[in-house]
Amino acid sequence: MAGQTLTAEDVRRYYDQHGPALVAYACSFVADVAAAEDAVHQVFLKLLRGDTRTPDAPLAYLYRAVRNAALNLRRNRQRDMPLETQKLCFVDRGGNREAALALQTALGEIPEEQREVVVMRIWSGMTLEEISTMTGVSLNTVASRYRYALEKLREQLKPYQREGL
Amino acid sequence: MDEHEEKFESYLRGFQPRRPRALPFPQTAAPVWIWRLAAATILAIAFLSSMWFVSRRSGTLRIEVATRKLDALSTEEFEPNTLSLVPVTRLALEDPAQLDVTLTNASRGALPDLQRNESALRLLAKE
Repeated sequence: MAGQTLTAEDVRRYYDQHGPALVAYACSFVADVAAAEDAVHQVFLKLLRGDTRTPDAPLAYLYRAVRNAALNLRRNRQRDMPLETQKLCFVDRGGNREAALALQTALGEIPEEQREVVVMRIWSGMTLEEISTMTGVSLNTVASRYRYALEKLREQLKPYQREGL
Repeated sequence: MDEHEEKFESYLRGFQPRRPRALPFPQTAAPVWIWRLAAATILAIAFLSSMWFVSRRSGTLRIEVATRKLDALSTEEFEPNTLSLVPVTRLALEDPAQLDVTLTNASRGALPDLQRNESALRLLAKE
């Protein structure tokens, strides 16, 4: 793979900036914070060791790599704890654990490509244009995926939202 | 993007993904530099110590050699031609010219020859 080897400082920067979003993304595959963290750690540790060369869009690579690591972990691990009793991937600022659980469940139920766009947009703070560039998908497609995802999430989270949302 | 969508985005941002546990990042470059600096300092101290020791030792040796040479000169060449007082007095009374010759010869043996290559003055000048 053509690309660059990130320095430890670059890796640290990506980890600090996007680590939580990547864990949230991984959570939608493994639905277990510990496993999600393990998936993210695997990817970042490889980068730290210099085992992997990243393409020109490191963030897109990170999302892909975390997804693959999470799927591998899901294959190898038994989910022996019901989601309700697990440590959740999200924390609601208002302290509403049920809403956080509902969000996590809803994210796990929407199609992967939509979920990716939502996580990148909401928790990695990227614009739709950046997501389009990074993923190599047209802006229109990215925007459509995002709107569909928001509609589904809004529907799922309706019981927890205040009036007017 | 309509206002409705923006509000829902804002609502979603109210959920914070958990911050993952810290990665075992390698220490920053500073400690490496500290180790390098410490190693360089140790090497410099060792080098300077050895230089000081060598220069001090060679200086001591040179002084010892010079001292030995001076000793040799003083014992071999500066062996005093002992002139006792009575013969010198008699010579002074009877034959002053011979006294001059005798004293001149005696002084050659007793005083260092400053013209020779290994004269005491030259040896000290070299030091």
